[in-house]
Amino acid sequence: MYNTKQKILEASVRLFNENGIDSVRLQQIAEEVGISVGNLAYHYKNKEAIIESVYEQVFEEFDQIFRNYLAAPTLHDFDNQVTNFYHFFTRNHFYLSEFFKASLTKSPQLQQWQTYVVKMMIQLRSRIQFFVMNGLMLPATQPGQYEQLAEQIWMSLVFYIPKCNMIGQPLELAHYKKSVWNLVQPHFTSEGTSEYTSTILPQLH
Amino acid sequence: MKPKFQMDAAAYTALMQGMNEQYFVEKKGNLLDFRLYYDDLWLADTAVVDVVHRSKGEWAVDLIFANIHNPLKFIRRYITSHPCPKRAAQKAEFMRRLAAKDQRGTLIVSIQSLEMCQN
Repeated sequence: MYNTKQKILEASVRLFNENGIDSVRLQQIAEEVGISVGNLAYHYKNKEAIIESVYEQVFEEFDQIFRNYLAAPTLHDFDNQVTNFYHFFTRNHFYLSEFFKASLTKSPQLQQWQTYVVKMMIQLRSRIQFFVMNGLMLPATQPGQYEQLAEQIWMSLVFYIPKCNMIGQPLELAHYKKSVWNLVQPHFTSEGTSEYTSTILPQLH
Repeated sequence: MKPKFQMDAAAYTALMQGMNEQYFVEKKGNLLDFRLYYDDLWLADTAVVDVVHRSKGEWAVDLIFANIHNPLKFIRRYITSHPCPKRAAQKAEFMRRLAAKDQRGTLIVSIQSLEMCQN
């Protein structure tokens, strides 16, 4: 249902992304939606309520990506998940600046973020394990090799977008995907390489 | 914010592992496996036997539906239970008469037709 509440949340996410959560005022949100501040106050009593709802919506989206884990036992399934992460992180990158704030106390929302991030890391690790079990990736030659790979993939997934913003590089889905696949590619078996060449590689150009 | 259900990292890792393994462990079934859902005509020709037994501190009533042509083809279903054995036996009688196709009890299963080995 596309109602005023939804419009407010979308406008808030947009403004949070542009200006950071702290510097956005209710007046700005109201102007962005095209309603009065009084009307805004009818839907959300204060800014905290908006922030809470925005985070709830964002977590729901994040959950949705996690739920699609291993819908099919193919590389394409992982590629889909990477695409979803790309759209998710481009839409909601305001949370990152929250993490780099000077204050040491973390809000419940940020604590929640941390649990999601841990979840994401675990999923990546078990995805690699699955590819090894499936015969698409080579077994680990050193202990902890794939744990490290999972961390690198995670870093690429999360920090690729801020990196592009930082150096003024245009964002592209194909580049984002490539940055992930280039990490995984050296560990493929011959079977994995042929699946990669036939299903994933054509999409990266 | 309403607290969400949380699973600790170890449990989540185990869950992921289980999901990974399901592709290697679980096999696709056959359509014939669903036969017992639709092919239940044999239930029309069954003798119904009631069994009263102790279960969970009560007297449970089970009904056995055995095919009159092939007594090895039977199903047993729990119906109800009662704390008093006499009342349970009475219930069993009612339930059996209700479930049986023939109220007079002409369809019977003979123990002989099971051809049990007595050795």
